Amino acid sequence: MIPIVLIIFGIMGYPFCRAIYLSFTDKLVGMKEHFVGFDNYIKLIHDKIYWKSLWNTIIYTVGCIAAKLALGLLLAVILNRQFKGKAFFRTVLLIPWAIPGMVAATTWRWMYDSTYGIINSILITLGLTKVGIPWLSAPNITLLSTMIVNVWRGIPFFMFSILGALQTLDKQQYEAAYVDGAGAFKQFWYITIPSISNVLGITTLLSTIWTFNDFENVYLITGGGPLYSSSTIATYTYDMAFIQNNFARAVAVAISVIPLLLVLIAFYTKSNKDT
Amino acid sequence: MVMKKHKKIASSAVTYFILAAALVWTIFPIYWMIKSSVTVNSEMYVARPPLIAQHYTLDNYIELFTETEFAHALFNSLQIAGITTICCLAVSILGSYAMTRLKFPGRKFFKTSIIFSYLIPTAVLFVPMYVFVSKLGFYDNKFALLIIYPTTVVPYCCYMLMSYFKAIPYALEEAALIDGCTRIKSLWYIIMPIALPGIAVVATFAFTMSWNEYLYAMIMTTSNAQQTAVVAISSFKYADSAIWGRIMSASVVTSLPVAVIYIIAQGQLISGKSDGSVK
Repeated sequence: MIPIVLIIFGIMGYPFCRAIYLSFTDKLVGMKEHFVGFDNYIKLIHDKIYWKSLWNTIIYTVGCIAAKLALGLLLAVILNRQFKGKAFFRTVLLIPWAIPGMVAATTWRWMYDSTYGIINSILITLGLTKVGIPWLSAPNITLLSTMIVNVWRGIPFFMFSILGALQTLDKQQYEAAYVDGAGAFKQFWYITIPSISNVLGITTLLSTIWTFNDFENVYLITGGGPLYSSSTIATYTYDMAFIQNNFARAVAVAISVIPLLLVLIAFYTKSNKDT
Repeated sequence: MVMKKHKKIASSAVTYFILAAALVWTIFPIYWMIKSSVTVNSEMYVARPPLIAQHYTLDNYIELFTETEFAHALFNSLQIAGITTICCLAVSILGSYAMTRLKFPGRKFFKTSIIFSYLIPTAVLFVPMYVFVSKLGFYDNKFALLIIYPTTVVPYCCYMLMSYFKAIPYALEEAALIDGCTRIKSLWYIIMPIALPGIAVVATFAFTMSWNEYLYAMIMTTSNAQQTAVVAISSFKYADSAIWGRIMSASVVTSLPVAVIYIIAQGQLISGKSDGSVK
């Protein structure tokens, strides 16, 4: 047991420490590195694309999480009621979570297509728009296009986690509240939300980290473009490492967000201990 | 009385309306993927494509398996995900048992580090990991993934399994241990049968995590012979334009196994999720 744990720590830990070292060098692909101190980080501060990517990542994460939480909660509450065809809906609504993220991204990329895409075709047919929306090419829309796909795939995780918590709730509380004259909304706000707040918190934090980390969606749908308009930290790191071949700067980009993530993880471990 | 009935009808109308909207939103991309995979090219590449195809064809699927190396890529995916799942489960079952039942120094440290290593994002690690694994001589080699995937899958499995094991009362084991049963035997004959549904759920997740993983698979495997299925899909291009029929058929084939596993595990998933990861 212990040796295996050590091996895993080695595989995780060595690259991690090496990463921190690399970010202080001028490593390019295939070249020997030299120690350059904080040079890479200072360059980042003056790098407009870096700030754009960081800002995009924050919008992406906050926007997607808000949408997934709201819609997931709504669907979970509905699925927790008694109605016909419940098992069917529960199974079907899970599907986006079951298919590979790469497949989801590719399918949406095809639906967004400017010439042959079905989404614009439907919008025009319904008369909602006269000309197609440039989902993949207008700098102010591309980030939204990628967010929609993340939300599409991420709702089931929220829905199922919340549904699991709702099913353990005690029905008697609601009866008591009903007798006391509390309406549906009040019941929801004062009984449901507090009793599932732990699950809400943990689900949100886990998903926040995954969303923050989301690479394939952005990479496959817009490639971070056009002109870095939808670039996020993950795709910018990739771009720096494998397109511009500057490993040291790439690692610096990645490492610069660790403090942000540590705060999240600290929240997570703390809230997890309370339960 | 009548008022109440009206209210009830209204509320179930709202329920079905929201569900119908959710259903369309969920199903449409899946429908479009399947529809595109069986549409002939002449109907595929038109402006404003119709919602329902006029002519169907299986050519995309036939070409996928006769003209490309996709079957081999599927085999690679199966091999990598299978080996990862089996190895990670074996390690995690032993590890989680040790961490929930045995008292040894540094136990708490290990527990916290498991959560940490589960949460450290790929986006941060992938460049140094790439450098590290290439240095080990695994450049363009699918087996590199067998080194990389356990670093996320094992922490995940341990994390889930620990909460399953913790829920099993110690008293069950105690009698057997006093009678001189070894820890391994007790794990095998007492804990495993009880935790089996939980283990099945964890195995499902471990398998799909490796099957679906894209970023590492893309940077670690470049030649056709080494690619996994998800990477192979994104390589279906002539020059710069994507061959959508082939891409969509490959997407259907790649999604099918994991979708089926998920739907089967669905019932387990709900109970498993709530008492596993969350409580």
